[in-house]
Amino acid sequence: MERVPILSLITYSPLVGAVVLFLWANASPRAARWVALVASGVSFLLSVAMLLAFDPGRSGMQFTETFEWLPELGIAYRLGVDGISAPLVGLTTLLTVIAVIASWQPIRSRVREYYLTLLLLATGMLGVFVSLDLFLFYVFWEIVLIPMALIIGVWGSANRVYAAVKFFLYTLAGSLLMLVGIVALYQEYFQQTGIRTLDVLELARGQYSETFQFWTFLAFFLAFAIKVPMWPFHTWLPDAHVEAPTAGSVILAGVLLKMGGYGFLRFNLPLFPDATRQWAPAIVVLSVIAILYGALMALVQRDFKKLVAYSSVSHMGFVTLGIFALNQQGLSGAMIVMLSHGFVTSALFLIVGILYERAHTRDLAAFGGLARNMPIFAAFFGLFAFASLGLPGLSGFVGEFLALLGGFRAYRWAGILGTAVVVLAAWYMLRVYQRVALVRAPGEPPDPDDPELRPALAHGLPPVAGGSERDHPIDPRTFPDVDWREALTLTPLALLTLWVGVYPLPVLRMIDPALQALLAAVTGGTL
Amino acid sequence: MPLRLVAPEWSLLVPPLVVAATILVLLALDAVQERLVQRFGLAIALVGQLLALASLATIDWSRGATTFGASYRADWFALTVSLVALVAGILSVLVSAGYTESGLEPGVGLAEYLALLLFSVLGTMLVGAAGDLLVLLLGLETSAVAVYALTAFARRRLTSVEGALKYFLLGAFASAILIYGMAWVYGLTGSIVLSDIAHTLRTVVTPGQPLDPALLLALLLLAVGLGFKIAAVPFHMWTPDAYQGAPTPVSAYMSVVPKVAGFAAMARVLVQGLQPLSEQWVTLLGILALVTMVYGNVVAIAQRDLKRMLGYSAIGHTGYMLAGLAAFTTGQAGDRSVGSVLFYLFAYAFMNIGAFGVVAWLQERGLGTTLDDIAGLAGRAPLAALVMAIFMLSLMGMPPLLGFYAKYYVILALVEAGQLWLAVAIVVMSAVSAYFYLRVVTRMYFEEPVGTWRPVRTPLLGIGLALMAAATLALGLVSGPVLQLAQRWPAALV
Repeated sequence: MERVPILSLITYSPLVGAVVLFLWANASPRAARWVALVASGVSFLLSVAMLLAFDPGRSGMQFTETFEWLPELGIAYRLGVDGISAPLVGLTTLLTVIAVIASWQPIRSRVREYYLTLLLLATGMLGVFVSLDLFLFYVFWEIVLIPMALIIGVWGSANRVYAAVKFFLYTLAGSLLMLVGIVALYQEYFQQTGIRTLDVLELARGQYSETFQFWTFLAFFLAFAIKVPMWPFHTWLPDAHVEAPTAGSVILAGVLLKMGGYGFLRFNLPLFPDATRQWAPAIVVLSVIAILYGALMALVQRDFKKLVAYSSVSHMGFVTLGIFALNQQGLSGAMIVMLSHGFVTSALFLIVGILYERAHTRDLAAFGGLARNMPIFAAFFGLFAFASLGLPGLSGFVGEFLALLGGFRAYRWAGILGTAVVVLAAWYMLRVYQRVALVRAPGEPPDPDDPELRPALAHGLPPVAGGSERDHPIDPRTFPDVDWREALTLTPLALLTLWVGVYPLPVLRMIDPALQALLAAVTGGTL
Repeated sequence: MPLRLVAPEWSLLVPPLVVAATILVLLALDAVQERLVQRFGLAIALVGQLLALASLATIDWSRGATTFGASYRADWFALTVSLVALVAGILSVLVSAGYTESGLEPGVGLAEYLALLLFSVLGTMLVGAAGDLLVLLLGLETSAVAVYALTAFARRRLTSVEGALKYFLLGAFASAILIYGMAWVYGLTGSIVLSDIAHTLRTVVTPGQPLDPALLLALLLLAVGLGFKIAAVPFHMWTPDAYQGAPTPVSAYMSVVPKVAGFAAMARVLVQGLQPLSEQWVTLLGILALVTMVYGNVVAIAQRDLKRMLGYSAIGHTGYMLAGLAAFTTGQAGDRSVGSVLFYLFAYAFMNIGAFGVVAWLQERGLGTTLDDIAGLAGRAPLAALVMAIFMLSLMGMPPLLGFYAKYYVILALVEAGQLWLAVAIVVMSAVSAYFYLRVVTRMYFEEPVGTWRPVRTPLLGIGLALMAAATLALGLVSGPVLQLAQRWPAALV
């Protein structure tokens, strides 16, 4: 197994699909879909094989591949995964397949180009997670931007161009400073040791002065903080999510945001341990603000998609809180929240997409009573809503509990505030579930047997359900339930949510050795 | 003293002689049988330059041989400059394909067009190989005068003539300043041979001491003169008008090859000749670089015309390259400054000629050169839009495209030289430039086409654009050999 370049195969099989689609100029939409499904499916199956072959007992890199590339500049093609990146690779390939299936019907224009872009995006994202060379990492990191911006800008909704440009410029501005940071790091290490290298593992062995760490940490931090996104760098996210097509939102929330959290774990912590400890309190403050702010913003949204987007900001706040609590619980929690957020929030975006396909609106006031005519949909939605608000037994709880525990141990006030926000999460998630699945649909006459409404009806007051028939001519009572293809996209995510929620041990076992090694490097072995 | 005649080593001159012979063939053929030029002119120009490119392999560059006294040098630097000039020349001929078939005005022949273009390539090669100030000046002027004429090639269009006039007047003015500076250098050092100048200066200049005012004056005059040639701010005024006014294939050519000549001259004069004054000119170039990149990139945002936008973007790129020169430290092996600039020019040739080439391609199809004309191109011609997007993203510096590698090497040179502030300036300006490059992409992809579209076939132009796009896309990944060649400059200049 070690001799097969499995990481390259995983990373480039989507690219092969993209090249096939590029060369096959008159591919029918149907053919394009199948090419994308096969390419992403191969990548997914290979990543499953990789995860099964992964040795969870080891903390170092596995499946490493190294080729000299530009040796005089210390640049090499270095790939490898450890317990931090391996699960993220699996998440990425899975969500790519789901994105392909989820776009099957909703994407009707320029289908071939769409799938080409999506596959290119997949290769970029996978490359980010498997690169161990800073140059290579940076290349993949930037490659991700273009297809994502195109997916938003070409296949998005009304205000898509603004959102795409904003997304692109924001994230580009952040990552360019990282480039200077990378070069500065390379030069500093060269001056110390006389070795020219951009190997992350080797660079982590260097001893850097505090001032140097301070600034370089900041250069990397900005790039990742914008990607996560941390408050106050989050403003691109709601726009991007609202305008992106469903599959774009799935990838954006499920994978792209993880690139930020992964960047902290892979680069900021091991490369700049002193600066990490120095910056941690400030970052924890930002994280707690993000948790609170995201939840409060989610409370007041009328747009379903925007609501999920803001809940993302809140959830990713748990990730950064856990990471910069700098203890074992916090780090494990951050990893689990990342994975869980990948399942749950992606699924919630699929849910929004399913509704949008039927109603052509995301206004919450347009929905109601869907549990009656869409029971399967309501069941899925309920599961993911509860997972999102952190119900024990589902994946969201495990991660957030650990992250809060870590936060509490390091900064008591942060743990307390963060825990309080879980109440807000329950509030907005239950509110939206009630609105969409339970209460009367707009225009639906009130139930005369409803004891709560009887006094109001006696006084001749109008029905209290939000919205009116006139605003939303499409009656939600006529929506068909999810079809088999939509169910196919939701089922694996539901199973994973349950699995990680009930029995997280295999996942923890996989990530813990890597996190322990990381922690030892940051805290100097003392804890 | 008995007169001693030394036979020149003609073999060192083969590459420029091949180019010169191509020019003669074109002109002679034009005099004899004009129709043949119409049919085969482009092919002759291409083959001639390809032969010159091949003839580069016949010379042993590692010797660093000189001939004609020390006026002509066949060293690694000369090789790299010749390579870049010839590649840019070949690409320019390819993007001229459409224009020369349909755009030339009656009475001006294809032979003149191609001959002028090749003259300019020849001049640039001479600058690269110049061992003294005289050859350098000759090369520079040969390169420039040909381009003045090319700029005015659309002689019935007012903007073309206006651009050419501005370019010519300011260029002539700059040459005068440059020559004046050279005269001062000659007066102070008693030599026009670059290596002798450096030798003399080394004996009179002590590092850390204030410079002799006369030397400082000479340095400033040279910097101003050369600054005009590469369109550094504040000597850039001619650029946007000339770029916009000239026929588009000429703009493509003009944005690259004269810049190669200018930077080669700068490296020869400053790095080789005035190396003992490096303390002074590094500071000077650093400031010029900063001003130039900020001005070019910021003003480009306001442009609606693609050619004008590319003109300002070219100023921005001049700033990046100047920053690369300002990364000069000792000139020992491991100093990446000049090498990073040479590589940048190489990369820049593909992406910038390519970008202008797409504009020429649009013009062939009856469209204008504004941003509105390119709107919705992806719906009309997906491949052309893709190619343009590649050039734009590469100019922006997106990995894994060629422009990213070029920028990376400059940043690397700067960080190694401890000039972190310029490295930060480059990335900040790259973010600014993303705004206007991206606007081209968004208008192509996110809008519906407007205007009338005349479908025509332009096979040679298409092949050229495809070639440049492929190079921009893939050459970065295998940029090792070119980079190694570019990095051999210390052996030549120091």
